Amino acid sequence: MSQHPRAASPAAHAPSAVPAERLADILDIAEDAIVTVTIGREIVLFNRGASKIFGYAPAEIIGRPLEDLLPPGYRATHPAQVDGFARGPEVSRVMGERRVVVGQRKDGTEFPAEVTICKLERGGETLLTAIVRDATVRKKYEDAMVKMNQELEERVRARTTELAERNVQLAQKNEENEMFVYSVSHDLRSPLVNLEGFSDELRTSLKDLGKLLQDDQIPAAVRDRAADLVRGGMGESVDFIRTAVSRLSRIIDALLRLSRAGRVSYQRQNLDVGMIVRRVVDSLHGTIAEKQAEVKVGDLPPALGDQTAVEQVFANLVGNALNYLSPDRAGRVEVGGRVGSPTADSSTDAGGNTYFVKDNGLGVPPAYVPKLFQAFQRLHPEKAAGEGIGLAIVRRILERLGGRIWIESTVGEGTTFFFTLPAPLQFSERVE
Amino acid sequence: MTNQKLVILLAEDDDGHASLIQRNLKRAGVVNEIVRVRDGQEALDYIRSEDAHAGRAPGAPLLLLLDIKMPRVDGIGVLHAIKNDPTTAQIPVIMLTTTDDPREVERCYQLGCSVYVTKPVQYEEFVGALTRLGMFLEIIKVPHARQ
Repeated sequence: MSQHPRAASPAAHAPSAVPAERLADILDIAEDAIVTVTIGREIVLFNRGASKIFGYAPAEIIGRPLEDLLPPGYRATHPAQVDGFARGPEVSRVMGERRVVVGQRKDGTEFPAEVTICKLERGGETLLTAIVRDATVRKKYEDAMVKMNQELEERVRARTTELAERNVQLAQKNEENEMFVYSVSHDLRSPLVNLEGFSDELRTSLKDLGKLLQDDQIPAAVRDRAADLVRGGMGESVDFIRTAVSRLSRIIDALLRLSRAGRVSYQRQNLDVGMIVRRVVDSLHGTIAEKQAEVKVGDLPPALGDQTAVEQVFANLVGNALNYLSPDRAGRVEVGGRVGSPTADSSTDAGGNTYFVKDNGLGVPPAYVPKLFQAFQRLHPEKAAGEGIGLAIVRRILERLGGRIWIESTVGEGTTFFFTLPAPLQFSERVE
Repeated sequence: MTNQKLVILLAEDDDGHASLIQRNLKRAGVVNEIVRVRDGQEALDYIRSEDAHAGRAPGAPLLLLLDIKMPRVDGIGVLHAIKNDPTTAQIPVIMLTTTDDPREVERCYQLGCSVYVTKPVQYEEFVGALTRLGMFLEIIKVPHARQ
């Protein structure tokens, strides 16, 4: 409740240019209700505005106690409140800033009211005046607004719940898919083992047969034809089978690795990302030397994640950067990071930290960017071996760790992969 | 000295896999008898000299090669059963499987398998493991180079 001690007496104001009787008329015709009572709460003034609002003619109400204008529920406690104000140091007060003030009309109906009260002491007599405004309309709009806000909140809540449910469904679907891929690729392995094993057996047998055919006792014509069959017909066929089988084997292994990225359980802990990256770079020193590249590691804020998984992410991104360097210039790869992370539309900070792996390599054509994180997509198959699942795994890992990944690239200048990870927990927080 | 009595029991439901394993073991110089059964239940019957294998002399030394995915009783079931029976707990077990899921591997070692080998088998490594396991069993006659 605001308390604005005003000047103790109207005499402190500059003398009004309006004569006293005019002032009385002005008060009388005011649209707001003006009700003055004695210290004993007996109504002594009741203007036209008051008649309009409360429904009493002045003659009906003058001399009556102020409580006649209140709903029965407020009457018992009201005199003490008035008394408190009359004896207190305040000269004026706005009522109902904290709760709704309610008035009662002559016909018994109640209405919300805005009320200010003031106190005038003169010549030992105290007069209390209440200025009352019917707040029914204002209240109606306020209530409508509150209701609208509630409805809006309700809709946002419902939508959020719906989205959360859909997320759970998607995650389940994802899990089902991964489980399916896992079991199918696993089942494929069994026949593959036969193909691999028996094509090996065939090759061994062919070698033995080749040796047998060197026997002089076999007529030369038969020997030559048989040698042709063994080397050309059978040997070549077996080699094709073996090549195809090992390709199939690599694809199945890749599928298993991919599905495992979504299935393996993570241990979330605070990570020294700088240490992880140094270890990754150390393990790649052979490739770095071979490519005559320079790898710079900048400041890396700590993160919350699974050590092995985060290591895998950096190993893949740095490995990619090294694999797809440009032959036109000395290779440079830079790893860095900063505290904070932008949301997908860059509008706000999503929390967590941002890391990047930047190279001055071949770059990715814009048309290829959407395919970049899909499995079994390869942009430069001639540049390095692999099945094209590295970035798909990286994205899956980051998704599961609560981060995201995106790319900025210019063909002929280089590529930067950005990704985010949750910030490390403070000591007071606990990992789930 | 070759312990000719030691029998290698191969439990494998896939005929191709069984054939490949037997060929490669022989090629690597394993001279012991290899008995092949097609599922876990038959493996347990053989080990316990029950049912179809009631005639087998009990107590003869055994080495077990176990596939995991098999009908009736799977490899894990067999491993669990023999390691929980004091009369068979000493039998060395090599798991031979297409699964390299770390959890599966971990589970088998916890249950007491001696070696876990993933198919397709790298036979050099496999025979190496067999030899180490067979140090006291002397199952390898003359390891000779494969042609």
